[in-house]
Amino acid sequence: MQVVQSNVTNKFTGSVINSMASDTQHTDICLWLDAVATSRDKAAFTQLFHFFAPKILHISQSKLFDKSLANEVVQETMTNVWKKAHLFNSTKGAPTTWVFTIMRNVTFDILRKLQSNKEDNLSEDIWPMIEDQAIEDEPFSDHIEQKNILAVIDKLPKNQQEVIQAYYFMEMSQEQLAQHLDLPLGTVKSRLRLALSKLKEHLGEKE
Amino acid sequence: MINHHPKLNLLIQHVNGELPASISAGIKIHSDMCKQCSEQIAELTKHEAKLSFSQTNVDDAEFGFDVDALINDITQTQPEPEVIPDNKPVAVTFRGVTYKLPNVMKHMELGKPAQIGKLSRSRILLDEGHIHSSLLRIEAGGGIPEHTHNGYEITLLLEGNFKDDMGEYVPGDFIVLDGNHQHQPVSEQGCLCYTVVSDSLHFTQGINKLLNPIGSFIY
Repeated sequence: MQVVQSNVTNKFTGSVINSMASDTQHTDICLWLDAVATSRDKAAFTQLFHFFAPKILHISQSKLFDKSLANEVVQETMTNVWKKAHLFNSTKGAPTTWVFTIMRNVTFDILRKLQSNKEDNLSEDIWPMIEDQAIEDEPFSDHIEQKNILAVIDKLPKNQQEVIQAYYFMEMSQEQLAQHLDLPLGTVKSRLRLALSKLKEHLGEKE
Repeated sequence: MINHHPKLNLLIQHVNGELPASISAGIKIHSDMCKQCSEQIAELTKHEAKLSFSQTNVDDAEFGFDVDALINDITQTQPEPEVIPDNKPVAVTFRGVTYKLPNVMKHMELGKPAQIGKLSRSRILLDEGHIHSSLLRIEAGGGIPEHTHNGYEITLLLEGNFKDDMGEYVPGDFIVLDGNHQHQPVSEQGCLCYTVVSDSLHFTQGINKLLNPIGSFIY
């Protein structure tokens, strides 16, 4: 009975100590990263190195089965931590997640270079370190074609824009248009023709 | 609404960087259009990071370099300037129709478009051996004859729509098919897909069964 109880106590205090340790650890890592970011603090970086590098080596060895590659991952990851420390934003996530992301990206690019002989460093496109855009609620490309056309129309001379917009978007007839703009019908027709051929040219369609 | 999502195990491998670039790029395209998956990826990344860096038995790490010298070297390098990612849209044109492509494709090289009937295809030159990736466009009213797969086929619908006997698909849908599936996709209004195929397709009906010209075209 006594034994069981002490086991339980040990387990309990053990986990409390663990989580306390990881809390102070978290704070330490944030402080070190901040010191590197703001004052390029070598001592703080050394602390970061001793915390992360052995773990990165261990993970990389088990993933790559190659000592020298694993060392390459460590060097490359820690170099990036130094170079990009100022880009880390503690309000957006934990520092461990940030370092993990760097390590994962470095490993991915090294593996891709090995397997496909490509040095395209695609990791930065697949997992951007700086997220550039919010997720759109709508599928992104539903209106692409229309947006394209609108952008191209903006490039036309003013009088051609006028006829295109009235004719296609307001669905006026050529006659109505001539009346509305107080122009001869022939002029409206030739402007439309001109505008259309320019549009096609801009949109990459060949006559 | 997007109905087809990558499965959890695929997302975990994605987060750990263990998938081929083609598949991870497909997941990235999907998650940029799917809030739910993008949040799940963020959660999984947090979780995997925690797991990775909570190991404690690593004190005996033997580095293949001089640690102090490396720290010296690193701390003499300049911080990286904050670069705003270049999001100049990349595009592809099939028979005069131009499509904007997802950002993740901005450094991917495309092969020349090729054509069979209402199908156009541009290979994505990722150089991943037996895994072939392509942009596939089906013109309005076109389709792909009924086929099955030895390997797997991932289709990410980018624009337009298509349907098969399992249902209709919308942009953002991440569709995974393997040898257990047979399908015959058709597109009424036309569509553009990002596809990743691990082995050639096998046609199950008619003349295509014998000649299989479209099989190698799509693979």
